[in-house]
Amino acid sequence: MNRSERNTSRIKLGFAAFCLSWVLLALPAVAADNIPYGFDSGGEKIFTRYNETPFSAMSGTDGRRNLNSFYELRQYPGSPPRIPHKVFPSFSGEQADCIACHGRGGYDVEQDTYVPVTPHPENELCYQCHVPKLTDELFVGTNWLSIPPPKLGNSQLGGSPPPIPHSLQLRGDCIACHTGSGAVAGIRVDHGSRGNCRQCHVEFLATEPALEFTRNK
Amino acid sequence: MKIDRRSFIKSAAATSAVATATSLFPGISFASWKQLEGATGMIRWEKAPCRFCGTGCGVLVGVSGDRAVAVKGDPACSVNKGLCCVKGYHSVQALYGKDRLTKAQVRKNGKMVEVPIQEALDIIAAKMKETIDKHGKDSVAMYGSGQWTIPDGYVASKLFKGCIGTNNVEANARLCMASAVTGFLTSFGVDEPMGCYEDIDYANVFITWGNNMAEMHPVLFSRMLAQRKRRNDVTIIDFATRTTRTSQASDKSILFKPQTDLAVANAICYEIIRNDWVNWDFVNKHVSFHKGKTNIGYGLEDKFKFKDKAEGIDFEQFKTFLKDYTPEKVEKMSGVPARDIRYLASLYGDPTKKVTSFWCMGMNQHTRGTWINNLVYNIHLLVGKISTPGNSPFSLTGQPSACGTVREVGTLTHKLPHGVVMKPKARELAEKIWELPAGSIDPKPTYHTVAMFRALDRGDIRFMWIQVTNPMVTMPKLKRYRDGALKEDRFIVVSDVYPTPTTDVADVILPAAMWVEQEGMFGNSERRTQHFDEIVPPPGEAMSDTWQIIEVARRLGFEKQFPWSQEEYIGKIWEEYRRFHDSPKHNMAPYKVLKARSGVQWPFVNGKETRWRFNAKHDPACTSGEDFHFYGKKDNRAWIWARPYEPAAESPDQEYNFWLNTGRVIEHWHTGSMTRRVPVLHNAMPSAYVEINPEDAADMGIVNGEMIKIISRRGEVTMPASINGRGVPTRGQVFVPFFDEKYLINEVTLDAFCPISKQPDYKKCAVKLEKA
Repeated sequence: MNRSERNTSRIKLGFAAFCLSWVLLALPAVAADNIPYGFDSGGEKIFTRYNETPFSAMSGTDGRRNLNSFYELRQYPGSPPRIPHKVFPSFSGEQADCIACHGRGGYDVEQDTYVPVTPHPENELCYQCHVPKLTDELFVGTNWLSIPPPKLGNSQLGGSPPPIPHSLQLRGDCIACHTGSGAVAGIRVDHGSRGNCRQCHVEFLATEPALEFTRNK
Repeated sequence: MKIDRRSFIKSAAATSAVATATSLFPGISFASWKQLEGATGMIRWEKAPCRFCGTGCGVLVGVSGDRAVAVKGDPACSVNKGLCCVKGYHSVQALYGKDRLTKAQVRKNGKMVEVPIQEALDIIAAKMKETIDKHGKDSVAMYGSGQWTIPDGYVASKLFKGCIGTNNVEANARLCMASAVTGFLTSFGVDEPMGCYEDIDYANVFITWGNNMAEMHPVLFSRMLAQRKRRNDVTIIDFATRTTRTSQASDKSILFKPQTDLAVANAICYEIIRNDWVNWDFVNKHVSFHKGKTNIGYGLEDKFKFKDKAEGIDFEQFKTFLKDYTPEKVEKMSGVPARDIRYLASLYGDPTKKVTSFWCMGMNQHTRGTWINNLVYNIHLLVGKISTPGNSPFSLTGQPSACGTVREVGTLTHKLPHGVVMKPKARELAEKIWELPAGSIDPKPTYHTVAMFRALDRGDIRFMWIQVTNPMVTMPKLKRYRDGALKEDRFIVVSDVYPTPTTDVADVILPAAMWVEQEGMFGNSERRTQHFDEIVPPPGEAMSDTWQIIEVARRLGFEKQFPWSQEEYIGKIWEEYRRFHDSPKHNMAPYKVLKARSGVQWPFVNGKETRWRFNAKHDPACTSGEDFHFYGKKDNRAWIWARPYEPAAESPDQEYNFWLNTGRVIEHWHTGSMTRRVPVLHNAMPSAYVEINPEDAADMGIVNGEMIKIISRRGEVTMPASINGRGVPTRGQVFVPFFDEKYLINEVTLDAFCPISKQPDYKKCAVKLEKA
């Protein structure tokens, strides 16, 4: 299915949902108490479940997390991202609280989004590196300049597996960031079932020059 | 959340728009980053120690062109093994605040005007000369910092102590580590920890004494947590006066009333002896018992003098002394249940457990700071848990080079790079290495930090040069010292990187090179010396603090003592300085080795670093033939001290009914002059607050965020209340972080200090609260 077909089908689905919801609204007026009307066995349950599930939960992305917002939380490629959501003022100190969501990922109803998974769950002291944002104001302006984030792709041959453009320090767990619904769409792989990532993808840091090969004589 | 038609279509459209955009422009980011023009995206990585706390993490600074653009943890550095904290990861952004000082400024007719830096240096030299001629050599002073590089402190000491001949050299580490130093000297005869961070990998029990490590030494704290996760035999106990992130992450939090740590430490010793957990073999061979003076005062009056006198006692006398500290008696004083005291004692006493104690400002900023340091050593010595992997009483440092520069180079009034000014041999060695005539160095110490600022206020000091520190935020009882600095006929030079309340009182401001804009070395908590190169050029006319001092020294006529060229001065200074420590007890690594490695521990003997001092298996300076050798003391033993509980200088009463405790938060380093200019850090912690216990707040009807006036006998400050925030103080106590120059909490604090170390107590004074 190409992109436009997908969009069309989404709109169709939306239209169907729209129509159905009118039916649903009309139902109570005509149906007797506790008797499902107009649904097959279990049909209402399925529809209710559908109706209560946000679109993002079905589509596997909320449309808000993309490479742009991904870098927006960082100061330079590879810096620890800020916490983009509210945390308790005490910031708990119960490290399990962060890991409860960010350890395995999944859909978070409260924030209506998929939770990104940490590539380094062995580090329990999350707030050592990750802090929230309480204000947008700066104390004093800054002349900070960053380098561009690494380009995607970079295959050496047409269609060959692209190299890993970032350092693997603290980010060695490919599965955490590149698969699943919490992954940023732009860097999600479509062959997540293949486990041995580094069989085909090798480190070739976008930030560091390639080492020239010289023979020992 | 229910979906309606509109939001359905909207979100579908948003998803597809983003998907389309990212597929059209793969790898293009739309984030609002200001990007370095023409940057290829290539980075070269250069090693450095982190700029901030005393942990001394190794960082790799990513450089593009002549700009620092990224940071990662240095995997080759054994301190942090590739992990940093949020300050470290964003440290390079501290170089690029918009208001960076890049030109020298001089006060002319009351207004600061920019001048070429050479002109400013001329003015400084002329003013120093004039002041010395008029008021004598002891009327000029240098006030530096534990953030000075080692060469900074070394040339300052050489110029002031050697060439000028005044002992008016002090550093803010007096406010930070002085009690740790006197603790080491009185217990062991030599300064700095016997253990190292590797102890974390072996210890079974960690006890943090008044030490919020989770925020102040996060990298070491996370090493502890990682050990607890990896091994199932690790227990962390937080012993503190306030519930913090450290308490929350520990296995047990024990709270005590301010100042009563003295009594609890003695009660632990009492229990160890009562249960006969004493390691007799160790104690008989390696320990001697002593007592000192009591009722030693608080240093509140000008020209306060105190000298301790050690008196040998025997074990029985020590045991008798401890009779006042049964767990039941101490429970009444400290609020710590007797069973918790017994529990702590049992952890120290259990021969199968390796115990590491950590502490920092809670024990050092204490009017009995030297004593409490002694008392924790007592515990470790009684059970023989010291100087072996995992058994470690470990005094953490607050600043990146409090050890390297202030303690090792000796930038304190009584110290020289080797030994003290009072000792003829130490003076002779310095005069020889510095090529000065005999008698150049004054044998009498002058002023410790608080006394130095009092002398400035009185007019005994007329000229003060302040480098890499912000005393107009950090001095206790601030108003007196700010008024003193502003008096007529006082001349203040400030070298710094950003405008601060201290540059506000300056007559000359020198723009300084910051951190990796100069070559230098730091020395961290575990005797590790860390070299860094000039990685990016300093902005404008900014100049390293070392070179500023050299320039002035030459103008004063000391070319002979400061002959180095700007290309090689750091290496030359290091090799000259190293001559002071030429013994297996303190050998430093050569310049070449420092340049190559991510930090090297001293004593560095025959190409080997020393991990555990006083342990014959590890320390080549041990010569007694025994398994341990405490060579710092003349009797070749470590000293246990009978030190009693004595109350704080000022305790809450009917009128001033709260304790005031001050400290730091993870986001900000000291007075925030650097970290507040880092967007991530300021955004996360934009302003200071006063933490109040929720029950006290309820009693007074105070709600979160309400403005509260904190009043002491010295002054007052109004700031927002924080209830159940980052930390929770016990009832009757409030806590305020000191990073925010908008809310100067030191207007309120007391300048009482430990009579032995002369370090002020920022953790205890009495205040009252009012709704503003």
